[in-house]
Amino acid sequence: MNSGQIVTAVLEEGSPLGSTLDFVVDANAPRGGMKHTFFTPDRKYAVQFFNDPRDGHNPNIQDRIRTIVSIYNPTLSEQAGGALGNTEKTAEYFRSRFCWPVAIVSQPEFGIVCPTYPQKFFFGGNASTNGLNLKGKDKKSNWFTGRLRKYIAPEEKGDFRTMLGAAICLSRSIRRMHQAGLAHSDLSCNNVLIDPKSGSTVVIDIDSLVVPGKYPPEVCGTSGYIAPEVLATLEYDYNDPRRCLPCVSTDLHALPVLIYEYLFFRHPLKGPKIHSAASAEEDDYLAMGPEALFIENPNDRSNRPPDLKVTIQSLSKGLEQLFLRAFVDGLHDPSQRPTAMEWERELLRAWDRLVKCGNPGCEKKWFILRDESDPVCPFCGTRLRDRVIRLSFKSMMRGRNGVYRDNGEAIAYDGMPLYDWHVSSTVHNDEKAGTDMRAYICRHNGMWLLVNNGVEGMTSPSGRLVPKGQAVELRDGAVFRMTDRDDGLLCEVTVY
Amino acid sequence: MSDYIRRLPVYLLLDCSGSMSGEPIEAVKQGIKALLTELKGDPQALETACLSVITFNSTARQISPLTELMLFKEPELTAGGATALGGALHVLADCIRTEVRTSTATQKGDWKPLVFLLTDGAPTDNLDEGIEALKSVSTGNIIACAAGANANTNTLRKITNNVLMMNNLTAGDLAAFFAWVSGSIKASSKSIDAKPGEAIQLPPPPQGFVIVP
Repeated sequence: MNSGQIVTAVLEEGSPLGSTLDFVVDANAPRGGMKHTFFTPDRKYAVQFFNDPRDGHNPNIQDRIRTIVSIYNPTLSEQAGGALGNTEKTAEYFRSRFCWPVAIVSQPEFGIVCPTYPQKFFFGGNASTNGLNLKGKDKKSNWFTGRLRKYIAPEEKGDFRTMLGAAICLSRSIRRMHQAGLAHSDLSCNNVLIDPKSGSTVVIDIDSLVVPGKYPPEVCGTSGYIAPEVLATLEYDYNDPRRCLPCVSTDLHALPVLIYEYLFFRHPLKGPKIHSAASAEEDDYLAMGPEALFIENPNDRSNRPPDLKVTIQSLSKGLEQLFLRAFVDGLHDPSQRPTAMEWERELLRAWDRLVKCGNPGCEKKWFILRDESDPVCPFCGTRLRDRVIRLSFKSMMRGRNGVYRDNGEAIAYDGMPLYDWHVSSTVHNDEKAGTDMRAYICRHNGMWLLVNNGVEGMTSPSGRLVPKGQAVELRDGAVFRMTDRDDGLLCEVTVY
Repeated sequence: MSDYIRRLPVYLLLDCSGSMSGEPIEAVKQGIKALLTELKGDPQALETACLSVITFNSTARQISPLTELMLFKEPELTAGGATALGGALHVLADCIRTEVRTSTATQKGDWKPLVFLLTDGAPTDNLDEGIEALKSVSTGNIIACAAGANANTNTLRKITNNVLMMNNLTAGDLAAFFAWVSGSIKASSKSIDAKPGEAIQLPPPPQGFVIVP
């Protein structure tokens, strides 16, 4: 095959792309550890083949990939042959968040077809301020979360809010995988691309997934993201029961490492502690493996950088607890690690506690309000000038008239949108929820208002109907119904 | 305690003897340019790798000290003279001793250096002395590439077990060599904490290259 030549691949039966697909041979094809990649002439799809032909012929690998493409595929509706219970709507949702294989090539040799990832995950022409030519390169997260950040143009970097959004996006994608029993097995800055501008992520390299009941792939992960127990047991043979292989609980180490990097721009285990004077290699192995120690471990401060100002205590209390479980209790005890669902839920709670920093020079622009009575930006130290307004949502307990339970909180800011999950107790903020803005907060003539943008049956504190376009004033102690439907939430206002 | 950022030192030892003049030396220059562009596009390599160039003809010298990639300036290369490979190993040993930070109980050291050696002839000085000097310092992988028919793979085997042979000294083969070097540096920067004491897995050599057994 010559470079530039167009080759027609034969696809296995049942492919949504038809029976054949053309791709362009390229002598300089991007080459990863396992596979190399060609593209279709329109670059809508990537056609990947194994570097080692033995992998392509391996029936275990073929078998695993066939199930990934079909019955475990969250980007295909159940009706179209995808994952059980998947609707076209949820399939569409995950199509932009996973680069999931869509078809299998049988000729010229066994291979995989994946959609190319959305344009926003490639750098444009002016992405660097220091003359780095990044145009067309993947947005790997370590461009944004490490020392290289200084070379990236400000308009590419996003802010704290969009990085929190990226963390939510990723935890939701991983939750969806784990929900089906799948483990990614190699989550890292290379396999999760990030667009800080829009606060989104896309998970790539899906073919090394661990599938229930199938032979696990022989990857161990990427430096910095490998779970300590996997590193610590690398010396054992692949079939030795003492060997820890990548699985759901090792993903649950890599996931918070990525989240921590998104939020703090540093690695949770890379601190000043010297584990071995023998060599850098030995020191690193211990620091990431058997002797891994969280830089913010409250009981052992020997790995804590001296200049740590913004810490997990600058986040919500819920997120602080999750990080302690992931990196203190669960660092060497995989069973203690929070699940992806817990991360998603707690990050969403934190999202509803975001407030705008009043300092126009603040690089982070937003912060999570931890303590209503002490609203100070942890990044720049600026105190919030506005009063803090907290909305507490309550839902009526079924069959117990007048008894309510907590159903989330939100800290109001000017321009804040409210959605179905702020209105109804039966809607959760996830891939199934609608994205129409149902109401919003606005500041008008010194008053804080909650404006109805299309909720039926919103009622004011005095019981009057609030039609679309009209508003409820947010005064301290006010209680009103977001909607008078049975599933409607009650909103209680506290002004600090 | 130290917040020192650990580096992956990379040394290029380039033969600039008379036989390299003309197309080969131009291809080497292009190769270094391409190597820099490639590594600057890879965040892990850019964060960790540092590059130095040591050239040798009748004598050997370090023409680019170990420098992080963003600050690295492409060296001026000219070809002419003999093949002081032994001297080059001496210079390499000296540079590693002064430039690569060692790990101690109080400081985080650099990773073991990666060394790529490209030569198209047989050494014209005392190679054994150079090999002795190199034994006094710690290196990671040393990869020697014998370029063209006149390169002596047997002498290179005395320096390292990793010897590649490229049959022709063409611009295309030299470009492929430098592309492979950048792939190797990228792979090394990603697998650094994989397993202490194990040689880093490098990508398979480019087409047309033979691993000398």
